[in-house]
Amino acid sequence: MSDIVVRAASWLGPEGSGNDLAGLAKWPAPLGEALRRGELEELRWAHLFEAEAQRFARMDWLSRLGLMAVELLRARFETWDPPDLEQTGVCVETAAGCLTSDLDFLRQPRPTVFAYTLPSTVIGEICIRHRFKGPMLCLMSAGGSTRAAIDEGAAWLREGAAKSCVCVACEAVSTDAAALLPPDLALENAWQACALLLGRKSGAPRERALAGGTLNEIGRDLVLAASRG
Amino acid sequence: MGTALATAVSQPRAAVAGCGAISAAGAGLDPLALALRDNSSALRARATLAGQRYQTTIAGWVPEETIAQLAARDPEHADARAFLMADAALREAARNLPIVSPGRRALVLSATKADILAMERVFGRQPCSKAAHRHILPRLLADDLAAAHQARGPVQCVSAACVSGLLALQQGASFIERGLADVVLVAGVDLVSHFVLAGFSSLKALDAEGCRPFDSRRTGLSLGEGAGAVALVRRDLLPSPAWTIAGWGSSNDANHLTGPSRDGSGLVLAITRAFQRAAVATGEIDYVNAHGTGTLYNDNMESLALRTVFGENVPPCSSSKGILGHTLGAAGVLETILCLLAAHSGTLPGTPRLLERDPVAPQTMLLRPQPAIRLRCMLKINSGFGGANAALVLRQDQV
Repeated sequence: MSDIVVRAASWLGPEGSGNDLAGLAKWPAPLGEALRRGELEELRWAHLFEAEAQRFARMDWLSRLGLMAVELLRARFETWDPPDLEQTGVCVETAAGCLTSDLDFLRQPRPTVFAYTLPSTVIGEICIRHRFKGPMLCLMSAGGSTRAAIDEGAAWLREGAAKSCVCVACEAVSTDAAALLPPDLALENAWQACALLLGRKSGAPRERALAGGTLNEIGRDLVLAASRG
Repeated sequence: MGTALATAVSQPRAAVAGCGAISAAGAGLDPLALALRDNSSALRARATLAGQRYQTTIAGWVPEETIAQLAARDPEHADARAFLMADAALREAARNLPIVSPGRRALVLSATKADILAMERVFGRQPCSKAAHRHILPRLLADDLAAAHQARGPVQCVSAACVSGLLALQQGASFIERGLADVVLVAGVDLVSHFVLAGFSSLKALDAEGCRPFDSRRTGLSLGEGAGAVALVRRDLLPSPAWTIAGWGSSNDANHLTGPSRDGSGLVLAITRAFQRAAVATGEIDYVNAHGTGTLYNDNMESLALRTVFGENVPPCSSSKGILGHTLGAAGVLETILCLLAAHSGTLPGTPRLLERDPVAPQTMLLRPQPAIRLRCMLKINSGFGGANAALVLRQDQV
């Protein structure tokens, strides 16, 4: 039996946001309606967190959502203390990646946008904020399947490449960007993000054995389960 | 830092069974081997882009006649340039592979922008085939390459800036070590396009005269395009001697989004992890193929990192960016192939376009190729946007 456990989970999407300790908090009414319409520009860092994120305003939405998901993980702990920052890896999985930033850059080439036309930029933003220096990987998945990121994170722990791993799944596809894709490639869940903190079993309460499943589904399920007590 | 202490990961190891390339040097491995031997550069300006607002059009362009030949052989993908290049490289790499069931054959693709030309055509409402249109999403390019090469085992697509290629090789080796596949086809591909030229120009990252890695007058990088492919197989399926992917490591600087850490500490971490996984000591490394883009900060950082790892005994090292340019998602794969070609010829590669070594660069930085006294263990390193660092150790089995 695997000794890899989910130490914490977080999720945010059109329905709301939360983590596996606090549960799901629905967006307040006017914001929620805008977010369900995909109007991400209405979402502010301050809607969820008191602590500031200085770089947030300059980021693309893929990085913003990924960073918010990891911040929701951080809020899960009284003290954010992964075992060893130098030994904490980050594995991101995304289907559409930075398609929205690609379109922004095609429309108006600017250096501030170009830096976000790589899907792995979200890893850089997460690591800058949280000082993670462990192994890193950014995988492009097919049609929202996000299993590979957890498999990879769990393998890093088993092989001793990392002591803990933050696995993130995120999508942020604007309607305009989605229109760049072939008609038969509609992307579901045009925006959402999920983060899991994987570690080795320590016997601490609320640890859950990892037994398969996709990243965003595990995160969402754990958050919803917490909201139901 | 003198010795690697950790134990090696258990067998089976991944070994290199074949390589293939489409690059600015032309189609196949032979032009690459010639470029290595002659220390020549395939960088050139593109006259058709003269007058555009780029810092320069000097880049490692794949010759149009090469593209035309590939398209003539596969009309269905005639405008799917990323597929054409990667497919051709994979065919060359997979010529002499042991026969395994398709379910034990995996594929890992490395790309930063996949078919960016297709995206530009769709954005500009220009004709674009359905095949090319799919490859706006890198994962679908990986899926189509896997289908074309009967790889029905695991398929992954790595997109992690300039370290993508090394991470893809790492993933391929991991598939074999974890028992998920017996053969893994690893391909890296990227194209130079308006998007890419405009992006790096906007960052003022290009050298108007062409890149001069580790040169005291360097001012930036040169872009390149192409595809590289490496076929990895379970070590016991190949005769001796063979080159193995002995170890790898990655890290994040956690410092800056587009610039490397000034002290090289992130790259040192990646190298140290690769040495630990390979169970090699610093003294066993015979050659280092550097990232060596030609930007001021990268080459400074890398020089510092190499000194930190090796002290005063930095092995012979060089950069290959002057041959092909910076091929982004293909760089790690193509540069690993260059290392293997150099080993095959018993030669340490030079650094084309380097004329006057920057005093910060290691004194063992090679301007020109040299006969290798011993070449059994090599280190390949890359760094990239987002603070990414990766290192790969290649080791030849003892006969």
